[in-house]
This record gives sequence, structure tokens and C-alpha cells, in this order.
Amino acid sequence: MPPNQSLLDLEGYMRRCLDFIGNIGLFALRAARRVLVRPFEFEMILRQIEAAGWKSLPLVLSSGFALGLVLALHTRTTLVQFGAEAKMAEVQSLAFFSEIGPLLAGLLMAGRVGAGIGAELANMRATEQIDAIEVLSIDSFKMLVIPRIVACSLALPILTVFMDVVGLAGGYLAERATSDLSVVLYLSRAFHNVNWAAFVPPTLKTAVFGAVIGLISSYLGYTTDEGAAGVGRAATSSVVVSSLAIILIDVILVKAIFFLFPETAI
Amino acid sequence: MNSATPPAIAFREVSRSFDGRAVLNNVSFEIAEGETFCLLGRSGMGKSVTLKLTIGLIQPDAGAICVQNHNIVGMGEDGLSHVRSRIGFLFQSGALFDSLSLHDNLALPLRRLREKKPEEEIEAIVQKNLDDVGLGREGRKMPAELSGGMRKRAGLARALMLSPSILLVDEPVSGLDRVTASEIDELLLRVRKRDNTTMVIVTHDTREARRVGDRVGILNNGNLIAVGNIDELAKDQSELVRALVSDSQ
Repeated sequence: MPPNQSLLDLEGYMRRCLDFIGNIGLFALRAARRVLVRPFEFEMILRQIEAAGWKSLPLVLSSGFALGLVLALHTRTTLVQFGAEAKMAEVQSLAFFSEIGPLLAGLLMAGRVGAGIGAELANMRATEQIDAIEVLSIDSFKMLVIPRIVACSLALPILTVFMDVVGLAGGYLAERATSDLSVVLYLSRAFHNVNWAAFVPPTLKTAVFGAVIGLISSYLGYTTDEGAAGVGRAATSSVVVSSLAIILIDVILVKAIFFLFPETAI
Repeated sequence: MNSATPPAIAFREVSRSFDGRAVLNNVSFEIAEGETFCLLGRSGMGKSVTLKLTIGLIQPDAGAICVQNHNIVGMGEDGLSHVRSRIGFLFQSGALFDSLSLHDNLALPLRRLREKKPEEEIEAIVQKNLDDVGLGREGRKMPAELSGGMRKRAGLARALMLSPSILLVDEPVSGLDRVTASEIDELLLRVRKRDNTTMVIVTHDTREARRVGDRVGILNNGNLIAVGNIDELAKDQSELVRALVSDSQ
């Protein structure tokens, strides 16, 4: 391939990326304007919280428990080498509260809920259901997009708390398999160095992750114009782009939390 | 058409392109209040686009589209919403909402009205509209449980929920057997007779155009090449027009 062609391809790719970011920004602005306008769609929001939160709970609980167990098994080996196995519970709780719980819950939601939102809205677009809402004098954006963004934003912090709890439970099970540590002592050690700043800001940052997942997935589904082929593409893209976005945003939010709560930066 | 009464729908030199391909090219026509206007033409000639332009789902590149004397080109969301509240739209596939039962599909537009109606009144209107299209006992069913003909009838019932004065119908009988197609045509005729509804019907079926339409327009390559009643068009100079209207003769 001639070098000029490579440059042209790169330019085209960059242009599409910038277009996408710009369009997502405009979509977010539209959402921010519409979220405060009546009707507030409480019923739709509750329905979406059930779909995004309640129905994701089994996945979050099983994944969190398994990861807590595996993490404890790996961490214990290392801590034993330094004679610091008493720190086991503390490491587990700090790891889950500050990073693993929020990020893993976010990635699981991007996979399960993001794909669902992207596919559902793209299917509604392809089968003219969104047009049908518009011709009935109903604001389809308000009815379909806003509840999904709000629901993801509200449900993810709650799922993160569940993830943290079962992660600690998994860690205790791994610890119990090798020692006689009681639950009370395990919890006492787990929360020994955990203050509210180590728990609340990382948990609340998942509200931003949730909003980003809802926003990106809704954008990709709502604006698709490729018919049936666009449904699969919207679902896949929703997962990929949402996952990438929350990892990148996590970097920024972690720095922001360190800046605002210096005691959390060890 | 009475010259003192403004047309229900007027297209004035409307053009629209997609990806550089002209789908409509300087198209002009008027439809009187209470008239049924059928659009005939081969696939991909801009018939469905014309319907979507009429209700503001697509904006034209040029020209004016007046619906009951309101130019909807460039109109804001609130204005469009007001105009749409007087227009019903039957989509080709019915476009029923998958996640709602048939009953809730019909109730949705009434439940979303700014002036809230009591639930009992909504129930009564939904049941009446379902009865009108012969689906009175199917209200609890989900759209996936309905046949193609039932979906079209359900779509028609939903389109009539807000008692529109204009009904836009996209290929109401495509993919249906003759008997079911006749039933749909009967429903449309009954609605027109009962409510004096202005209708624009996109169809491939000349028999339907003859049965339901007052006038027929022929779209070809983005141009409205002929307008008239179907007997006049059967004698048109254009071979294409004669071929399109004589399919079922």
C-alpha cells in the first residue's frame, strides 16, 4: 500500500473518531436538556432499573464472589512470602472498594446492559417503532433514551455495593479454607483501614460509568440507520465503546478522587 | 376541490435526495379535505418517503409541505407534535411496540396526552377501536403473537386512537392474501365514510387504488408523472402509467 494511502486511511479514521465523539457530545447535551423537562418518565425509569439492575444482580453476585475468591488465593501466596498474611482481609477490602468492585461492575454492566440497550433501540429503529412513537406526538428521545441513561446511572452504584460485599465473602471463603479465621476478625481486619473516603467516592464514580454506558449504548442504538444489520453492529459497538470509555474515564476519576481526597492515595 | 378551502396536504416543489440520489424531484400536488389519494409506483420510487415527509419524519432538501395550512418544513418539535396529533400513520409492518400488549399499544398515545384522560375512558376507547378492527378479544396478546393481517389491523386501530383528520397508510395490503387485503380495504373505506378522513395510501395494488382511492398519483424516478382517477390514467400516453394501473384489470 502506498504511504499516502495509509495517511489517507488514518485521516479518515481520525475524522470518524472525532465525528463520533462530537456526536456523542451533542447527544449528551440533548439528554442533559431533556432530563429536566416533564414528563419525568418515572415508570419507564423503574422498568429500566429492573432490567439494568435487578436482572444484572445474579451475574454481578456470581462474578464478584468468584473474583473475590481467586484474588484472595493469589494475594495470600504473595503476602505469606512477606509474612503479612494478617493483611489479607485489608488488601481484599481496599482492592474491591477502591477499584475492582466499581470497574468490574461497570464492565459487566457494559457487557450485559450496554449490548441490550444498543440492540433493543437499534431493533426499534429498524422496525420503525421509534418513528411510530414520533408520529404519535410522543418525544421518543425522552421516552426511550433518558430512562435508560438515568436507570444505568442509578443502578450501577447499587450493583457495585453488592459486588464489594460478595467479593469480601469470596475472600473470606478462600481464607477460611486455609486458616481458622473467624468472620468477626476477618471483617474487623477488612474495615480496619477503610474510611468513608475509601468507599464512597469510588462507589459514586460508578454513577458516571452508568451514565456513560447508557449514553453510548443509547446513541449507537437510537441513531443506527442500517436496518437489521445495524442491530448486531449496535450491540457489539455498545459493549466495545462503553467498556473502553469507562476504563478511560476511570483513569480521570481516580486522579480526581486522589486530588479531592488525598488520604485515599496511599 | 373547493378553491376557498385550503387543501389538507400540499407539496410544493419538494425535492429530497439520499446519498446524492434524488428520490423526489420538484414534486407538487394537493390533496383536498376528505379525499383519498393513492400513490402508485415501482419500489424505491419515493412513495414511502413522501409519506414520511408529510408527517415530518424526514425534512425535504427544498420546497414546502403544508399540512392543514401549516408549513411543516423547518418546524420545531412542539409545532410538529401539534400537527402530528391530527395525523394517523399506519406503517407497512404495523410498527407495534414489541414490549407492550396490543391493548397497551393502543392506550399509549392516550396515556401520553397532556390533558390526562381517566383510565376508564381510555379503556373504553381502546376497546371500541379494537372492536372496530375485529380484534376486540385479542387485547392481551403481544405483537409477536399476531398474524400479519392482525398486525396491520392493530396498527390501523392505533393510528386512529387520536381521531386523526388525516390518515397516512403505507402499503396496507402488501404481503396479505386477497381476503385479508379486502378486509383492510373495507376498514379504510369505513373509516373514511364515518369520519370523512383525508387519506394518503401508498400501494402497489391497483385493485386497492381503484377500490379505495379518489385520485391516484404515479411516482417514477422521483417525479410525479401522472395524477388522475384510475380510469383516466388507464388511457394515459405513458406506457409505464398504463402498465402500472392496468395490472389487475
